[in-house]
Amino acid sequence: MSQANERSTPRLPGGFSLPPFGVHQWLALAIVCVALWALGLLWLGMQAGSQWMGTWQHDLRFHAYMEGGNQTKLKHLADQLALLPGVSSARVVPHQEMASWLHDWLGSGAVDEDELLRSLPGTVEITPGSETGEFLYSDIADEVRRLGATLNSGEMHLVQVQRWLANIERLLWFVTLILVLAMAIIISNTLRMILLARADEVQLMRLLGANEWFVRMPFILEGMLLGSGAGVLAWFLLWPLILGAASWFAALDVSLNGFILLAPMVFGGGMAGGLGAWVATMRLPNESTATT
Amino acid sequence: MIQARQLMLRYPTGKTALSGVTLSIPKGRFVYLTGESGAGKSSLLRCLYGGARPTSGQLTVQDLDMRLAQEHQVRKLRRNIGVIFQNHRLLFSRTVFENVALPLRVQGWKPERLVARARKVLEFVGLEDRLWSFPEALSGGEQQRVAIARAMSTHPPLILADEPTGNLDIGTARRIMDYLMELNQQGSTVIMATHDLQLMETHPGDLLCLHAGALAETLQHMPPAIHDHDDGHEYVTGEGI
Repeated sequence: MSQANERSTPRLPGGFSLPPFGVHQWLALAIVCVALWALGLLWLGMQAGSQWMGTWQHDLRFHAYMEGGNQTKLKHLADQLALLPGVSSARVVPHQEMASWLHDWLGSGAVDEDELLRSLPGTVEITPGSETGEFLYSDIADEVRRLGATLNSGEMHLVQVQRWLANIERLLWFVTLILVLAMAIIISNTLRMILLARADEVQLMRLLGANEWFVRMPFILEGMLLGSGAGVLAWFLLWPLILGAASWFAALDVSLNGFILLAPMVFGGGMAGGLGAWVATMRLPNESTATT
Repeated sequence: MIQARQLMLRYPTGKTALSGVTLSIPKGRFVYLTGESGAGKSSLLRCLYGGARPTSGQLTVQDLDMRLAQEHQVRKLRRNIGVIFQNHRLLFSRTVFENVALPLRVQGWKPERLVARARKVLEFVGLEDRLWSFPEALSGGEQQRVAIARAMSTHPPLILADEPTGNLDIGTARRIMDYLMELNQQGSTVIMATHDLQLMETHPGDLLCLHAGALAETLQHMPPAIHDHDDGHEYVTGEGI
């Protein structure tokens, strides 16, 4: 073969060429990329949910109603509720404020507002503090019930949604852990195949007196690069969805931040790759297989 | 440089590769290791670079007891040995430079010195213009010369060659021998396993002949007139069967 017809590969500084990137690596890259993309999507959903809840929570007030309650009873209810830990304030909603709200709500319809207003129960508005304990909402409900009032159930549902979101977030961490382990296994298997293909190189390095880390490090770096590369790719693939759904999310007062996911996806992928490579290189071909 | 006493090597399969080998190889010698196939030539070389641990007896290589040596000591020893393997064991997915520079990288040479050193050793074997070629583009003789360049790149005091001329034509084999002889003249001890005793006619050296895992014959290369051991030089010695 003449020199002119020889194959050539891009050289790194120092004269070294990149390790061969074959079908196994492409496959691992694609699978890990899909897994990371799915994870990114789930965390984006979580971000959207948290933001949506956050905007509601920002204005969140609970309302307790007391049928036929006089001002004294309402005042007592408000005072008792204000004493609860986690409650920022509680006040009796004045009659004029209720009338104004009712007027705004009904518009200029031909309804007898005064009669309607008379039929409305006495209302106490409760504002939660910035740090609410796990049992605040049940404490409020208990206290309201004890004093013969009722709590707005719709507002309590929001609290339920918030709890669900907290549970979903915990579940998401678990799913993340499982997927990271799955990615590590995929990269580990890929590297095992690469190791088999490059067994000669490993054996030769050992026969030349290379220590364990000299032999393992290129494979661990390759695993980390595979994981990080998949992370970058997955991150880019999130953008069509982020941009496509931007207007829809804007209507919900939610603005997704894709940039915040870049570092976790790249470093997470790299860590999963490194872990997989570390496992794959735990049992490298030994000298007896190298020399017999 | 190398001392063996009642050296025995038995593989886990039960096959006894070496049995009762006693020999001494001083520094700076050129030694042919010969014998029929399965006589134990490759096994002896393997013991010398720590690829196999002796089952019994004693083997000392560069003052290291190969039976008792720890892994890190064997690794250190290997960095002082240049090995030319049977079928040369070049990495075909790597360039000639990367093949030659591998022992240097193992020894922790700085990257900026690697190209210059690789070029120099390839110049020695006449392949300086093939630095960035892949081994597949080279002929069998050229590949063997790359293997020699790799073995000598760290300038090791001991070079072990396992049938380096096995598959080569006479002309190429002689050229390979010239390189090995020159390395020997530069101070390296060379131990070469071979079937081809005709090489001794043009490239003289000491001879250790193995038969069925034991040392059958020892010949020292020197003119008959000075064939006694009182001339101040050290010679290869061995106990036959």
